[in-house]
Amino acid sequence: MPDWAQAVRDRLAGLNLNGAREAEIVEELARHLDDRYRELLAAGLPEEQAHSLAVEELETRDMLAAQLRKTRLPAAREPMGFGSGGGNIMESIRHDLKVALRIIRAKPGFSLAVVFMLALGIAGNAAIFSIFNGLFLRPLPFAQPERLVDLDETAPKWNLKYVGVSNPDAYAWFKGNATFDGMAFFHGGGANLSNSSGVARRIKTATVTYRLLDVLGLKPAAGRGFLPEEDRPGGAKVAMLGYDLWQRLYYGDRRAIGQVLKLSEEAYTVVGILPREAILPPDAEVWTPLAADPNKASPFYLSGVGRLKHGVTLDQAKADLARIHREQAQAKDDTYPVMQPLRDRYLGDFRTVVNILLGAVGLVLLIACVNVAGLMLVHGESRAREISIRTAIGASRARIVRQLLTESLALAFIGGLLGVAAGKVCLHALVSLMPDDTPHWIRFDLDARFALFAIALTGAAAVLCGLLPAVQAASADTRGALQEVARSTLTRGKRGVLSVFVIGEIALAVILLISSGLLVQAFRKVLHVDPGFRPDNVITWSLRLPVAKYAKPEQQLAFFESLVDRLKSVPAVSSVSAASIVPLDGHMGYFFEAENGLPTKDQRPVVLQITALPGYLEAMGMTFLAGHDFTRHDEAADAPQVAVINEAFARFFWGSTDVAGRRIRYPGGNNKWMTVVGVIRTTMHYGLDGEIRPSVIVPFSVSTVNGMTIAMRTAIDPHSLASPAREIVRQLDPDLPMFDIRTMSERLERSLWVRRAYSWLFAAFAAVAILLAAAGIYGVISFAVSQRTREIGIRIALGARPAQVMRTVIGSGMLLVLVGLAAGLAASQLSARFLESMLFGLSTRDAVTCISVLSGVALVGLAANFIPARRAAAVDPMHALRAE
Amino acid sequence: MSNQSIDRDLKKGSAELLILSLLNGRQRHGYEIGKLIETRSKGALVFRVASLYPLLYKLEDRGWIQGRWVEKPGQRRRRYYRLTAAGRKILAERQVGWAAFVEAIRRITGAEYA
Repeated sequence: MPDWAQAVRDRLAGLNLNGAREAEIVEELARHLDDRYRELLAAGLPEEQAHSLAVEELETRDMLAAQLRKTRLPAAREPMGFGSGGGNIMESIRHDLKVALRIIRAKPGFSLAVVFMLALGIAGNAAIFSIFNGLFLRPLPFAQPERLVDLDETAPKWNLKYVGVSNPDAYAWFKGNATFDGMAFFHGGGANLSNSSGVARRIKTATVTYRLLDVLGLKPAAGRGFLPEEDRPGGAKVAMLGYDLWQRLYYGDRRAIGQVLKLSEEAYTVVGILPREAILPPDAEVWTPLAADPNKASPFYLSGVGRLKHGVTLDQAKADLARIHREQAQAKDDTYPVMQPLRDRYLGDFRTVVNILLGAVGLVLLIACVNVAGLMLVHGESRAREISIRTAIGASRARIVRQLLTESLALAFIGGLLGVAAGKVCLHALVSLMPDDTPHWIRFDLDARFALFAIALTGAAAVLCGLLPAVQAASADTRGALQEVARSTLTRGKRGVLSVFVIGEIALAVILLISSGLLVQAFRKVLHVDPGFRPDNVITWSLRLPVAKYAKPEQQLAFFESLVDRLKSVPAVSSVSAASIVPLDGHMGYFFEAENGLPTKDQRPVVLQITALPGYLEAMGMTFLAGHDFTRHDEAADAPQVAVINEAFARFFWGSTDVAGRRIRYPGGNNKWMTVVGVIRTTMHYGLDGEIRPSVIVPFSVSTVNGMTIAMRTAIDPHSLASPAREIVRQLDPDLPMFDIRTMSERLERSLWVRRAYSWLFAAFAAVAILLAAAGIYGVISFAVSQRTREIGIRIALGARPAQVMRTVIGSGMLLVLVGLAAGLAASQLSARFLESMLFGLSTRDAVTCISVLSGVALVGLAANFIPARRAAAVDPMHALRAE
Repeated sequence: MSNQSIDRDLKKGSAELLILSLLNGRQRHGYEIGKLIETRSKGALVFRVASLYPLLYKLEDRGWIQGRWVEKPGQRRRRYYRLTAAGRKILAERQVGWAAFVEAIRRITGAEYA
C-alpha cells in the first residue's frame, strides 16, 4: 500500500504545526486518500492510475498548505481587517471604498447630514488647534529653544509678580552662575527715528547686552553684532537694524551698514542687521547696546534671557541664582530671582484660555460624533436586511464591520476636509480680530502638526461614529432581521443605546451652555465695572521729547504747556491735558510713605505714579472724592510740593478718603513732604478685570518726564481731532512724531479683547452644541415614532385620543431630556472649576445662568419632541395596520 | 453589495452551508462528506482534500462542528464530525438567509422569463 502519510507530510512541511496536531491531520488525510485509492481500485482502475488520481486530491489549484495555513495558524483564525476574502490588501480596500462611496451616494440626505455635522465639529477644532499650535507647539525660532529661560525678579512684598532685574543683580548673575552657557539682558523702549527728508517716526527700540544674539543662538543677517567694549558706559553709539526696518529703509541693501541713524536726535552707526528670527525683545526694530554700569544701583527694569548648560534643569539653575542672590552683599529680601521657560513667560497667560477652548470644541465634536453614531445606528437598522443576507451567505462579521467602518471613514474624511476648510476660514476671522499688538512672530498657518491633528481627529471621529453601529449591525440577529414583522421594531438594545446617546448629547450641551453662560455673565459683569474715568469721546496720543534737544525739565514742561494751550483752541475740544501714563497704558512704580499712616506690617505696595498737567483728571473724566486738582502754580520748581492720590492709596495708608491736607513722601527722611490736595475715585488702570493699586498723581515739580500722552475730550467724533492736533505738533516741532493714537474707548476694547473673544467663542460653540443636540433628539424621537407607527395605529384604533398619543411620545422623549439635564448640571459643576480663574468672582453655581440654561434646553428638547409627537398623533390607524 | 463580493461570499458561504447541512442530524467523516456532496450534486460540486479539510478545520475552529476519533473493530480509526449547538444555530440562520437569497434571485431571474 502506498505511503499516504509521507505524501501528506511532505506538503505540510513548513507550516510548523505542533506535533500532535500534525499527526492527527496526517492521519485523517491519509485515511481519506486511502479510501479514495480503494474506491478507484474497486472501480477497476490499475494501481498506478488510482494512486496518481488519489495524490491529485492534494494538488488542486489551492495548495493544501496554503489553505491550511489560513485556517490552522492562530493569527489567521478570523482575518480581521484585511484579506479575509482572499485577494490582496489594496484590492480589498479599494473594493470596500467603492462600495462605501456607492452607499454614500445612494443616501444623499443621510450622507449630507453626517458630513455636515462632522464638518461643524471638526471646523471648530481645526481653528482652535491652529491657535494652540501657533502659541504653544510651534518651536521658537532659536537654536535649542528648550534651553532658553526667562530671567526676572519677583517682589511679593511690593505686590508685584515681576519687577524686572536691576543692573547689579544682572551683573552678579552673569558673573557668578555655574549653570548657564550664556545670559543676556535687555530693556524695551522707543525712539523718534528721523530720516534725511525730516519726517520723524516713532519706532520700538531695545537696549541689549552684547551677548543677546549669541544667547538666542542667532547670527547677524549682515554685518556684526555688538562688541563688549560697545556695551560699556561711554561706549560707541552703534545700532543693529531689525530685518523689516532694514527692508523698509534700505530695501535690503548691505550698504546700510556704516550708515548713521538719528534716534531721538542722537547719531548711531549701523554695524549690523538683525536676522528675521530676532523676535526678542518683542517688536523691537532697532537694538542698541545697554551700556549699563554694573556698579551703580539701578531700578529693576531689565528683562533677562539665559541659555541653560546642556543637561542642567530649571530647578538646578534656580538654586544657582538663589545662591548668588543670597551671597550678594547688598541684597535685600524684597526681590528674589525667578525663571521659567521662555515661552511660558510670553504666552503663559493664554494657556488656560486656549486649553479650555480646546476642551469646548472637543465637546462639540463629541456631540457631533454621538449624533452621527445615532444616525448610523438608525441607518444600520434600515440596512439590517442587506447585512443579514450577506451574513447568511457567508460574509464574516469582520468583513461587515470593516465595510461599515470604511463607510464611516469615507464620510468622516469628507467631513474632515470640509471641516478643515471651514476651520481655516474661522481662523482667519479670529486672527483678523486680534489686536495689532499680538506678537507678530506667532504664526497660525498650517503645518505638519496640524495635518497630523486633523487626520487623527477625523480618524477618531470615524471610529467613534462607526464602531458601535458596525458592531451592533454585525451582531444583529439575522433571523430576526429577515422576518418581516420583526423588521419594523427596533431591538430593545438599540433603543437603549439611542436613549443613552440622547441623554449624553443633552448632558454635553448643558455643560457647554452653562460654562459659556458663566463666561458671558462674567464678561457682562466686567463690562459693568466702573472704569473710574469716562472713556467716551476722548482721543489720546503720545509724544516723546528727545533729551538731546529738550535737555532741561523746564524746556520739556514749557513745550507740553504750550502744546496743551494751543490744542485748547481746536474747535469742539472741551478739555485737554496730558499725563505720563493714561489708563490701560502701562505702569511706573514708586514707593511712598504716609505721615501718621496706619501700620503697614511687612507690606510695601508699589504705587503707580503718574506725572500730569493740571486739568488731566478732568479731561479723562475722573471724579474727585475730596479736595481738588493742582494748578499751574504748583508746577513751579520752587512751589510747595503737592499730589493727588487715589482712593486705594488713601484707604491703604490712612483707612479713609477724607485725607486732603495730609502729607506723603518718598521713603527716606531727606525727602520732601508732598501735601495731598485731592483724592480721586480709583480707576481701573490695569483693565476692567485687572488689579487695583494705590496711585499718586503729581505735577512736573515733583517728577519730570520727557514723554507724555495727550488726552483731548470733545463732543464730536474724537478721531476728527487727530489731524488738527498733528498740524499743531508740526508747527511746534516738525521732527516730533505722534504715536499710539487711540481713543480711550479703543483702549478699553483692546484691553478686553481676550476676554471678549473667548467668551463669545465659547458661546458660539455652545450654540452649535445645543443645535446639534436638538437635531439628535429630533432624529431619535422621530425614528422611534416611525418604528412604533403600528403600535400607535392600534392604540388609536382602540380609541386612544391624539392628545394621549402625543403625551406618551413627548413624555418618553422628555424623560431622556430631563435625565440629560440632570447629568449635565452635575457634570458642569465639575467642569466649571476649570473656569474659575476666568469668572471674575462669579460663582460657578450662578443661579441665573444655571436656571436659564436648564429651562432653555428643556424648551429646545420639548420643541424637538413636539414635531414627531404631532406626527404620531396624526397616524391613520387603517394605514398603519395595512402597512403590515 | 457588489457582484464581486456576492460572488466571493457566496462561494465561501455556500460551502459552509453544505457541510453544516450534511452534518445536520448525524455525524459523518470527511471522506463521506466529500462523497455525499459529489453524488448529491450529481457531480456538479466536487471538494478535494485540499479544500475540504481546511474548511472542516475552520468550522471546527469556530466551534460550529466538532470532530472526534471513532474506533471500530477491525478498522483503522476515523475522524467523525458532528454539529455543535452553535453550529445548529448558524445552520438555522443560514438556511433562512439562503432561502431568502434564493427567493430573491428567483424573483428576479424568474421575472425575466415570466
